[in-house]
Amino acid sequence: MKKYISLWLTMTSRITQIAFASRFGVVFFTLGKVIRFLFFLIFLVLIVSKTKSLAGYTLWQVILFFVTFNIIDIVTQFFLREVYRFRSYIVSGSFDYMLTKPLSPLFRSLFGGSDILDLITLVPLLGFLFYVLNQIGGITIAGVVLYVLLLINAFVIALAFHIFVLGLGVIITEVDNAIWIYREMTALGRVPIAVYREPISWILTFILPVAAMITFPVQAVLGILSWTGVLLAFVFSGIFLLASLRFWRYALRQYSSASS
Amino acid sequence: MKLYWQIAKNTWDQAVAYRASFVIYRLRNILWVLTLYFLWIVVLPENTTLFGYNRAQIITYVLGTSLLSSVVLATRSQDIASDINEGNLSNFLLRPMGFFRYHFARDLGDKAMNISFAVVEIAVLFFFLRPPLFLQTNLFILFLTLLAIAVGVVLFFFFGVLLGLIGFWSNETWGPRFIFYQLLTFFAGNLFPLDILPKQVFRFIELLPFPYLLYFPMKVYLGQLAPLAVYKGISIAVVWVFLMYGITRFVWLKGLRVYTAQGR
Repeated sequence: MKKYISLWLTMTSRITQIAFASRFGVVFFTLGKVIRFLFFLIFLVLIVSKTKSLAGYTLWQVILFFVTFNIIDIVTQFFLREVYRFRSYIVSGSFDYMLTKPLSPLFRSLFGGSDILDLITLVPLLGFLFYVLNQIGGITIAGVVLYVLLLINAFVIALAFHIFVLGLGVIITEVDNAIWIYREMTALGRVPIAVYREPISWILTFILPVAAMITFPVQAVLGILSWTGVLLAFVFSGIFLLASLRFWRYALRQYSSASS
Repeated sequence: MKLYWQIAKNTWDQAVAYRASFVIYRLRNILWVLTLYFLWIVVLPENTTLFGYNRAQIITYVLGTSLLSSVVLATRSQDIASDINEGNLSNFLLRPMGFFRYHFARDLGDKAMNISFAVVEIAVLFFFLRPPLFLQTNLFILFLTLLAIAVGVVLFFFFGVLLGLIGFWSNETWGPRFIFYQLLTFFAGNLFPLDILPKQVFRFIELLPFPYLLYFPMKVYLGQLAPLAVYKGISIAVVWVFLMYGITRFVWLKGLRVYTAQGR
């Protein structure tokens, strides 16, 4: 474990140095993300302040959904950015090199390129999260603890999805599009799932993990999530992670090293 | 003309060659439209109005801007920067064709591909959601809408080229393009109709070129603008087209002077 943490720190440090070599890009990238966040926030404020509520949630609660989606999105992208580069490793044959190293190829493929650029916007976002929670009021310590646990659980679901994508990458060299589907799918959770009409809201709750990733943590901190919901979220992530690991092992057995 | 027709056709063929990427790109668009669609359905129950829009008008706006994005915002101009950075522009400079016309033809090919997909998507959404839609029947308003869209297409073309020309001075052109698209989503009215903003903010945005890409053509289609406002809007957009043409041409000529065919 210690070896892997040390390796992760070294790899992240290298990637950060590369990222900051192009300062122009860093500034524009960060600014673009902030603008995107602010504009959607303005949109939500505009319509919900007029209607007073959205699908039964107040303005600050709706904002909490949006902030929670962004936290999960940023943390996932920070840790798992290397997945976006995986296709090139397969196509160029560099993946063979990873397999020969005394290091888990899955670990290297998932965490080998944590990009600090993704994390820059997280600090102000966390500050904003505290402000939003304060505005909502009536938040309990137990609710916050459950919120954090469910956020970690959301990351596990995201991790499982990325492992599936890596497996897919090994078998059919398809990575980018699968990742984008995942991102757009989770983006549906920017607003409360209750907004979507049946059967879409049912699909987002029971088939796709959007509710377990974004809706459940928010409902937990608001004190309106049932224990069945909590249990469902953890069971879902556990099954999803195990299934993704099995798929990864299956994919490795199919790997033909055709590109090298 | 035949040459540029062939260029547009080649761009179409390129998009067909990378079908999976293109389909996923369109799928992302559908998910985005779905978010906005359901959001508006919830905030605007039947027989109510909000910000001066009834349900049919706002849903028409959401689906209409989605379709319009495929017409106005579809572009291949992102390739200009890589052509410059990799030195491929040299090949182009030796050929007997105009730079602007060549890229406009490519844009048209890309737009044709996007439009055909968008029409199918809207048809599928219509089949499953049965959304309340506002159908414009006034032929003159439809003509003015088409005119506004045509001006928007030309206006956006110059923005796309201008962003690509940054490649003459920097390898990092994706950053400015990323910011531009974020600004565009908001100021062009892709997120919501701009007239729901506070009046002073809206009046300022009206002077920018962005609303004339999506918001303005949709407002013309919905018949919510007085004739004078339509002519004023089209006039402002045309002024922006000439301004953007001048700027783009100036930057192109400046860029050619610093071009070193690096990478060849």
